[in-house]
Amino acid sequence: MTQDAWLPLLVVLSSLLTGIFIFFLGEQRRRTRSALNLAGAIGKLVLIAVMLWGVLHEHHYETRLPLLPGYDFVLRADALAMLFVSLSAGLWLFTTIYAIGYLEGSPHRSRFFGFFSLCVTATVGLALAGDLVTFVLFYEMLTLSTYPLIVHRGTGEAMHAGGVYLKYTLTGGALLLLGVVWLNHVAGSVEFAQGGILAPARQADRAVLLGIFALLIGGLGVKAALVPLHGWLPVAMVAPAPVSALLHAVAVVKAGAFGIVRTVYDVFGVELAARLGVLDPLAWLAGATIVYGSLRALAQDDLKRRLAYSTVSQVSYVMLGAGIFGPVATIGGVAHLVHQGLMKITLFFCAGNVAETLGIHRISQMDGVGRRLPWTMAAFTLTAFGMMGVPPLAGFISKWYLGLGALRAGQYWVLGVLAASSLLNAAYFLPIVYRVWFLPPKGSWQTGKTHRYFETYPTLLLPALATGLLALAAGLFASAPFSPLEWAKLIADREYR
Amino acid sequence: MNASWISAGPLLVASIGLPLLLALALSLRRLRAFAHAAAPWSALPGLALTAAPEASVDLPWLLLGMRLELDAISRPFLLFTALLWLIAGHYARFYLARRPLRRFTAFFLATLSGNMGVILAQDVASFYLFFSLLTFAAYGLIVHEGGEEARHAGRIYLILMVIGEVLLSIAFMLAVEAADALKLDALASAIGASGDRSVIVALLLSGFGIKAGALSVHMWLPLAHPVAPTPASAVLSGVIIKAGVLGWLRFLPLGSATLPQWGNWCMAAGLGAAFYGAGVGLAQRNPKTVLAYSSISQMGSITVLVGLGLAAPSAWPLVLDAILIYAAHHALAKGALFLGVGVCQRAGEHRYRVFAGLLLPALALAGAPFTSGALAKHALKEMTLFAPSPWPETLAVALPLSAAATALLLARFLFLCWRQPPGVGDRALRALEFCWGLGLLSVALVTGLMFPDASASMMSRYLHPAGLWADLWPLMSGSFVAGLFWHRAVRSKRRAFLAIPPGDLLAPLEWLALRLWTGSKALSETALTHWWRSLAYWSRFGRAHAGRLAEGAVRWEFFMQRVSVASILFLLLLCLFVLAV
Repeated sequence: MTQDAWLPLLVVLSSLLTGIFIFFLGEQRRRTRSALNLAGAIGKLVLIAVMLWGVLHEHHYETRLPLLPGYDFVLRADALAMLFVSLSAGLWLFTTIYAIGYLEGSPHRSRFFGFFSLCVTATVGLALAGDLVTFVLFYEMLTLSTYPLIVHRGTGEAMHAGGVYLKYTLTGGALLLLGVVWLNHVAGSVEFAQGGILAPARQADRAVLLGIFALLIGGLGVKAALVPLHGWLPVAMVAPAPVSALLHAVAVVKAGAFGIVRTVYDVFGVELAARLGVLDPLAWLAGATIVYGSLRALAQDDLKRRLAYSTVSQVSYVMLGAGIFGPVATIGGVAHLVHQGLMKITLFFCAGNVAETLGIHRISQMDGVGRRLPWTMAAFTLTAFGMMGVPPLAGFISKWYLGLGALRAGQYWVLGVLAASSLLNAAYFLPIVYRVWFLPPKGSWQTGKTHRYFETYPTLLLPALATGLLALAAGLFASAPFSPLEWAKLIADREYR
Repeated sequence: MNASWISAGPLLVASIGLPLLLALALSLRRLRAFAHAAAPWSALPGLALTAAPEASVDLPWLLLGMRLELDAISRPFLLFTALLWLIAGHYARFYLARRPLRRFTAFFLATLSGNMGVILAQDVASFYLFFSLLTFAAYGLIVHEGGEEARHAGRIYLILMVIGEVLLSIAFMLAVEAADALKLDALASAIGASGDRSVIVALLLSGFGIKAGALSVHMWLPLAHPVAPTPASAVLSGVIIKAGVLGWLRFLPLGSATLPQWGNWCMAAGLGAAFYGAGVGLAQRNPKTVLAYSSISQMGSITVLVGLGLAAPSAWPLVLDAILIYAAHHALAKGALFLGVGVCQRAGEHRYRVFAGLLLPALALAGAPFTSGALAKHALKEMTLFAPSPWPETLAVALPLSAAATALLLARFLFLCWRQPPGVGDRALRALEFCWGLGLLSVALVTGLMFPDASASMMSRYLHPAGLWADLWPLMSGSFVAGLFWHRAVRSKRRAFLAIPPGDLLAPLEWLALRLWTGSKALSETALTHWWRSLAYWSRFGRAHAGRLAEGAVRWEFFMQRVSVASILFLLLLCLFVLAV
């Protein structure tokens, strides 16, 4: 095997081994643990940078190990995989730094960081998975490794949330598995291919193909929080802020969205999907989710809950992009995979900062917080505008391409959904922004994590600022090489070639 | 890349970037003092740029590929915009000397940057970027003083603006899809040829109309202008609302497509606004509110010109000139009037001097001979000949009448300024007067110098008494009526017999919205509850879910958390998929 064959495996191992080591570390070995975490995250980023360069130049990275008779364990780096892998690895680094500050002094940190690493391993693994069996393997691993993170605090509410989460996702996983088995039976192969696994089996019975599609989308839609399968997400926001951040930005929700994108483009192939007529229902479902999530967000007073419903809404942009036939919409949807991650993780970091520093969880208590936490709230404001789709933030780029793609496909109703979503986003983000900056503080705040020079722990502040700036940069420098948009264009180019 | 890029390009970038950098510098303690000192000068690069023979910059890696260029439309816009910002910036420094300045300065600089960018942007993404920056940063200027009134004004402003932004974003997408290009020059003609032309034009007219204070979406102007600090009102009313006009000029298929219907609508709305603004303005009690209504009225005249351009594309180059003259004239005169109000409030015993100063922009706005107003009104009058029938005849009667109405409105404004408590002269008065003096000087000179041909023809017209009389009589009749009222009002000391709350249409609209809201809540509590109950009864096991709709929604969420429900729904979804296909 050459080094090309080892790179994808190394990317997965870099966090798997870190996680396993951390489990065996004593609770008090804080420095060793942090160093290990950071070394793993940075090492992974370096490996990914090498692979990004290679994939851009049509280099082929594939790890293939025998798994079961007739089935291989395949990790392959194509353009779409690299997009998701870079996002996960980049945000893992920031979230690790954030979590180190967030959990300082709290119990069970080895357990937390161990599962945290496993969670990222699973995400990266399912991103790189070259066939459906490997994908399902990592998909289930993600479910199991996230559960301990959600129930980390061990309170009744957390245990309840964990239970709901498990019931939902395990059912979803079972459906997915069922779909994969059926697919394997029909197509005779489970290996992702440009143009679709099912391309050779396109003469198969229409009803069978529809059934497979519905099973796959249904199974993945649970994690992607498509309405009406979204019930677990707002409950799971009781998890610690770094977990919510990772859950909403990359790990779980995005894994589902990514899986749906894979299903449409590399399992069915977008042309077969369009011919089957399944793209329109997918787009309708996504559109309904976008509006429903925003409407529900409007009524929440708990900041993290509002953000959770906002995720339900925003992640569906990715599915909307997949549900509209044509390269431009694909670009918008795929780029939003990254854009939404950058914006939402910043928002959750900021919500965590407010909760940890001032003990504030409710929006109605946030009057004048901008005076006490100006930088945190600056990042929050910036990304809130991004969510509304205001240029030059990343959200604008996604909406722009989705809108243009919809027009090109003749789907005018999508513009209505986008407009409604922008208005609703403005309606639930602008009041927060207004409260924070323009109203005088009400009463006194709790004193939580403070610092001599910074407004809060630098480990909490700096990740939020960094991801906020990345969200700005992803929009402002959208046309620069290696921007998420340019990479999404590459993916669309290769898909519609 | 030619030689001129080297000199003008950086200036182009600086005119947008410098204010933004200074706004950022305000947040760093070490640079704060410097940023405060430099802030009033930050419109200077923009002003200097207007002297450059040509300037364009391509930044292909920015946004969707940014292009900035100084062209025939942006040069005059840039000149009067940068000039007013420069004057207002210095004015603000003395006006707000004793108040918390940092937040105001930051918003002021950000708004300035957006305004410069809107003028210079030549591709749709950067235009939208700077337009949004202008919109959202100006909010900070409006609510700066705090208090319930400012909050209300800010809320109305923001609601209207967000709706406007969304309408525009749809229009932009449709236009880009039609043109398959992002550059503005390609868009306008493609919109004219597009199948969705009516939709796009409607979206553009309403979206930019909100910013320009067009009739029926003008409500934010009379609320926002009086509550903002005076230098901010000056730029709001002088140049920020002009961004809406600029948007029309940039995107509407003016000169390339004939759209008689839309032209008629625009002209009718413009003429309506000209009289409506003047009429409602007369019933106001705050001089700044009167000026805001005067802006609605004056923007109505510009809307008439835009309508003319839509109806008669062959005359477009001339109509464009008329719009530019009108915009420059109104920006400078209205800016000077607003700044004058601030000076007047602090004038103390120097009131007579200040009052004499206020007369100049007031006369200019009313179209007195030899002023920029006469230039603008004449340009407008000449253009009416190109309009399709029956507009030339209608406008020939209506325009002098609207000039008379403006004269009356400004007399009301002067009266209200006179009636205001004189205030105490303070130390800043000298400095304020100096800045304002510069504003008056530019009212007197700049528009004439910008358009030498038009001013030469105006002068030659005044060689005949008839020409002079044509411009004088509306002013005189307006002043005569005002004189009658003035006499009575001063003597009787009574309040005006009729008062319309600022925002006119807003009051009934807000009442209606409130009624609808409470109505729908009542409905949801009665009718929908019944409906919900019967549904629950029907499904037997769901009886526990009966209740108020809001509660129902919450329970619905809990309901959805049950896995059995999720799996049933999944099966339903599966069926739907099969049915849909």
